[in-house]
Amino acid sequence: MNSIVAPVVVFLGAPLLAVVLSLATTHARLLHGLNLATMTGLVVSEIALIQQVLAHGPQTALWGLVYIDALSAFILFIVTFIGLACSLYTWTYLDDYMARGMITPRRLSQFFVLFHGFLLAMIVATMANSLGVLWVAIEGTTLATTFLIAFFRKREGLEAGWKYLILCSVGIALALFGTVLTYYSSVRVLGDESSALNVTKLLEVAGQLDPHVLKLAFIFLFVGYGTKIGLAPMHAWVPEAYSEAPAPVTAMLAGVLETVAVYAVLRSKAIMDQALPPAFTGNLLMLFGLISFAVAALFILIQRDYKRLFAYSSVEHMGFVMVGFGVGGPIGTFGGLFHLLNHALAKALAFFAAGNVHRRYATREISEVQGLANIQPITAVAMLVAGLALVGMPPFSMFVSEVMVVSALATQSFASDTLHLGRFLTIIIAHDVRSLAIVTLFLLFAVALFGGFTYRMVSMVWGAAPDGVRRGEPWDVGHVPLILTGAALVGFGLALPEPVKGLMDRAVAILMVR
Amino acid sequence: MSLLTQHLGSQLVDLGSALLLLTCFAIVAQRRLSACVDLFALQSVFLALTAALVAFLTGIHHIYIAAALTIVIKVVVIPRILKRVIERLNVTRELQMNVNVPTGLLVCGGLVILAFFITQPIIPLGFLLTRDSLAIALAIILIGFFTMIARKKAVTQVIGFLVMENGLFLGAAAAAYGMPLIVELGVFFDVLVGALIIGIYSHRLQDTFDSVDTSKLTTLKE
Repeated sequence: MNSIVAPVVVFLGAPLLAVVLSLATTHARLLHGLNLATMTGLVVSEIALIQQVLAHGPQTALWGLVYIDALSAFILFIVTFIGLACSLYTWTYLDDYMARGMITPRRLSQFFVLFHGFLLAMIVATMANSLGVLWVAIEGTTLATTFLIAFFRKREGLEAGWKYLILCSVGIALALFGTVLTYYSSVRVLGDESSALNVTKLLEVAGQLDPHVLKLAFIFLFVGYGTKIGLAPMHAWVPEAYSEAPAPVTAMLAGVLETVAVYAVLRSKAIMDQALPPAFTGNLLMLFGLISFAVAALFILIQRDYKRLFAYSSVEHMGFVMVGFGVGGPIGTFGGLFHLLNHALAKALAFFAAGNVHRRYATREISEVQGLANIQPITAVAMLVAGLALVGMPPFSMFVSEVMVVSALATQSFASDTLHLGRFLTIIIAHDVRSLAIVTLFLLFAVALFGGFTYRMVSMVWGAAPDGVRRGEPWDVGHVPLILTGAALVGFGLALPEPVKGLMDRAVAILMVR
Repeated sequence: MSLLTQHLGSQLVDLGSALLLLTCFAIVAQRRLSACVDLFALQSVFLALTAALVAFLTGIHHIYIAAALTIVIKVVVIPRILKRVIERLNVTRELQMNVNVPTGLLVCGGLVILAFFITQPIIPLGFLLTRDSLAIALAIILIGFFTMIARKKAVTQVIGFLVMENGLFLGAAAAAYGMPLIVELGVFFDVLVGALIIGIYSHRLQDTFDSVDTSKLTTLKE
């Protein structure tokens, strides 16, 4: 008896049911209740899933269509818990807009239909046992979210939604070509057309696949999914989509969707690393990671809009995650996974806070937001916590994961002899010096980030509050996710819960196949 | 299958792929929007024929399904949606482009050479029947991508994207004998929903911006 069937069925069935039911009603309380019930169901089945995976290892279900191992269970952990936090926040957020008459009940129903469709697509992407279905689901997330980004139907929102749709569709089309190439190489080995993209099959025969084809395939897959992750130079949609979308949607995009896109890259990497020369995929990840880190650092310094500031911070942190996985090794990979989790928490918190500020001040200009500590004390603390966590200050958990990645970067001598992408660099400087130089440069950008970010957070939280902004922050359900994510950021820095750590250790083993 | 049919079949598949590539060039050179849509529909017909040919020669039946879906979705439904958008928007010609037509054609020629260059090391690994199709598929993808950059109107950008999809499908059908059926169905579903969404967008953009010239989408800047 396969024991993951029940949670898997809930995972796929609950959002689907929620889509249908949301279509049927326009009653606000009912919609929110439905949303919360769905997310709670997902969290419960995720806990069951984690237990199963920890006890019995990787498993397939539903006629081999679903494949769950520690890596996918870990990603689902982020999806469900951040999803639950977003649902709680959505309640007050959308109620507020309803009360102001900015959205009709009909639009509210549409919001939840799209939201659950988005959720379903992400769950399918994470659970699929086929690289092809993974692609279909990730493209599905693009289609589901574009109208969520343009939800308020303002000029800027439409523009952001359109750009997001076009850029991500094109990016993801390249990933489809990568998938076709993977299939091209595996169908020759497996000979069976129907299962040649299955993760389980690919893992069995990965060593026999042709490295030339796989190299090209991985480049296309990485550039394609990298667009969705928002790595520079494919990041153009990130600041626009993140600043225009409703806050809970942005929190989902930044915290969860990026994580799922990273999962797509990691899944491909784990398969292809078995056939490719060592460090090929790692170097590619690291190169784009460093570029994203540097580009985002420069843009953060010139930002005047706090939502865009957080958006560029996402580009930066995803670059950081890529560096972690790119360097590899037990510490780098663990640091990368841990950083994914921390980023999801911190970014959700940041955008929740930003959403509160935006509703009160009605501006996104940093210079016009002052005295937050007097106006919205709880939000001010959340903003400060998110800001400090995002620049990697202790005692927040991001500090821990950042130290892991940086120390892995500094100690790991990445195999420079077989290096393809950095060959020109190898010629210029010997590899010890080079690794030192990269670390130094890296830290230099980190300092720039630190300064730019902290300065802006501090300027928003303190100072004299402008006249005409209502003071006081009555307690409501929307504060619960602020406190929970903030507490998790501190708590995970001190000690990781044992099941989560076990999951991450196993995921590291999956990613370090060699 | 005799050696002769094998040889002839391979030639025919190459011919089909080449026709697809040819229509790409025609789209790049065409300024009239409705003609671009027609050319895209024509390209999709070639795609369906090529796929059906591959299905016939290899005996893999589910490629027939994909070919039939191509006819329904890409030859009938999507061109109809796009035509309606064009009608409603009242734009017939694209006068300004980011890259003019002669330069565009030259660039596309370069892209074809690039595609063959990139796929050179992996082409000998392919099936005998459809060797060169992979290179042509990549060329079509690159040209589609280029079209999206070169044009300003939302409709032609969408056509560029659809051309990319056609290239991808050719790559899947001809070079790898079709993807698993569930994946193919998913891809078609995504393309169809994508086209519908784009249709809705172009209405909203028109209402909000009085134009679907994407170069006017410049509110969001650093």
